Amino acid sequence: MAEIAFRNVTKRFGDTVAVNDTSFTIADNEFFCFFGPPSSGKTTILRLILGLETPDSGEILIGGRPVTHTSPAERNVAMVFQNLALFPHMTARDNVRFPLVERKLPEAQIAARVAAVAEKLHIGHILHKPPAQLSGGERQRVAIARALVRDPAAYLMDDPISALDARLREETRVELKRIQRELGHTLLYVTHDQEEAMSVADRMAILERGAIRQIATPREIYERPASRYVAGLVGAPAINLLKGSADRAAGLYDLADGAIRLPLAAVPGEAVEVGVRPEAIRIAPFSGSSTKPATIWEVEPLGGFTVVTLSAGADRLRVMLRGQPRLTADEKVELSVDPAALHFFAADGTALAGRQ
Amino acid sequence: MRRSLPFELFRYAMIALALALTLIPILWMASMAFKPIAEWSASGADLTWWPKAPTLDNFRYIFGEQTTALIATLDRTATKPILASLLAAVFGTLIAMSAGTAAAYGLSRFGSGQNLPLALTQLRLFPPMAVMIPVMIMWAFLGLIDSWWGLALIYGIVTLPFAFWLMKTFFDEMPKEIEEAALVEGCSRFRVFMKITLPMMRAPLASSAMFVFILNWSDYLIGLLLTTKEWVTIPVYMASLSSSMTGQLYGAKAALGLIAAIPPVILGIAIQKHLVRGLTFGALKQ
Repeated sequence: MAEIAFRNVTKRFGDTVAVNDTSFTIADNEFFCFFGPPSSGKTTILRLILGLETPDSGEILIGGRPVTHTSPAERNVAMVFQNLALFPHMTARDNVRFPLVERKLPEAQIAARVAAVAEKLHIGHILHKPPAQLSGGERQRVAIARALVRDPAAYLMDDPISALDARLREETRVELKRIQRELGHTLLYVTHDQEEAMSVADRMAILERGAIRQIATPREIYERPASRYVAGLVGAPAINLLKGSADRAAGLYDLADGAIRLPLAAVPGEAVEVGVRPEAIRIAPFSGSSTKPATIWEVEPLGGFTVVTLSAGADRLRVMLRGQPRLTADEKVELSVDPAALHFFAADGTALAGRQ
Repeated sequence: MRRSLPFELFRYAMIALALALTLIPILWMASMAFKPIAEWSASGADLTWWPKAPTLDNFRYIFGEQTTALIATLDRTATKPILASLLAAVFGTLIAMSAGTAAAYGLSRFGSGQNLPLALTQLRLFPPMAVMIPVMIMWAFLGLIDSWWGLALIYGIVTLPFAFWLMKTFFDEMPKEIEEAALVEGCSRFRVFMKITLPMMRAPLASSAMFVFILNWSDYLIGLLLTTKEWVTIPVYMASLSSSMTGQLYGAKAALGLIAAIPPVILGIAIQKHLVRGLTFGALKQ
């Protein structure tokens, strides 16, 4: 049980900078997600914490203790690898027992702990089998059990459920969240799936090319992204990023070829791009008002909600509506947005505070 | 897929041809081993495929029995050469496998670049004769000529590159995360090697060891150059099986050849199940 901190950590592989002068602190008992596109440094951060890589500069602390140059075994962190890395020549039970046997716990205690973790992950009935005879989901549970069986300073998981099918993934992530809350340990979780990160994390870090772009709660990241990059990564369907133009004579700011018009006063002066979440746009039949019409390009009914793709000038917008409204392709509609739900970005991509 | 009849016929004909080419010499040897002298010697009446009067005389002869008045009893039986071959090949294999495996692991996990591994395998590009003269001088100096341990040592050295290269390929294929998982769970590097890597490498070790053993077992040249009489190996001893009366003792050679074929066959059957692929199956998610 401990907090984990990076202080100006840099790690290079040849000419590639995998982690670039990164600092962060993960609080005790926190479910913390690293989220970013492939090769943005997520896995390297975990490997640095584990001690499987040594930083080129900077310091790593676990529980306030510098561990930058201690061996993996001394760091007392548990890991679920992306490829699970079960020991193929041992049964599932021996895989789960392994960390405890290596730490020379008394046999009675080992048996009790293995039984407890097997119960928690519902793998009691498959413990006698070798990994080769287990399904993907079972293997993944055994790998998680091997990590959870110990009482480490923190659990690290590198995209552990990415190989499962969508439904199993949703089930498992909820279970993981519940287990983490019960165990009350720090859990570092790497994922490339924004929905997974948003759904499980207490706080999350958004990575881009080895650097952390924002650390915040999922809600804050969604509602107040620090940059265009962060805004574009979270949320599905993705945020609409629209180039705007000011119509100073009319005192209006046009988005999407005039299909959305805002009072110019609401738009920060340096803004060059505006982000509109798909659920922030409302659709009404075109009534010939002050805005230009947008055309419905395609409708995707998804049960509980409907995603509508619109074309307005050169722009494509995605709008998410509740339920299954009656809309047909090529219909002309009128758009409106709540200016408070907009995100403004400067030329360098940083977010600007909106003016109400 | 349905194939046409001519194609099928052609396919089986090719398989039969390949089998015949490989198996007929062995069959011929096996048949010859059980023939009485009249059937294998040059003075024998006619060539026969199968022994007309099967006999164990050839086997009895190479182990020192008088079987016919035509050939004098052997002053040196096949027992010692068989022992020499076994000792030299087994210990040579042990040397090559232990040194080769250690080197392969080290270079696979901690090595960088290609030069060292390549240099090790380039040893094999020399014709053995090129190095045998200096080896003979060195072995004479060290008092290793005509001893099974001297042979075992040079066998180990000569087959080391094979052991190294085979094992390196297997180590390279093993996902590093499996070892890292053990490191994270509290193992030292050495313990990881003993508890995780070696047990996972049982099949590759078995097949590499068999390969190396067969190389050592079938050597003729080195045995010929480094042994004189006390510890000659089976192939060297076999070459000496002739008599002034009948010339080459083909029957005795065939009998010895049949005995010499036993260890590789037994090994092959024993590790057959290990030879299947899939060394890490189940360890990773696909």
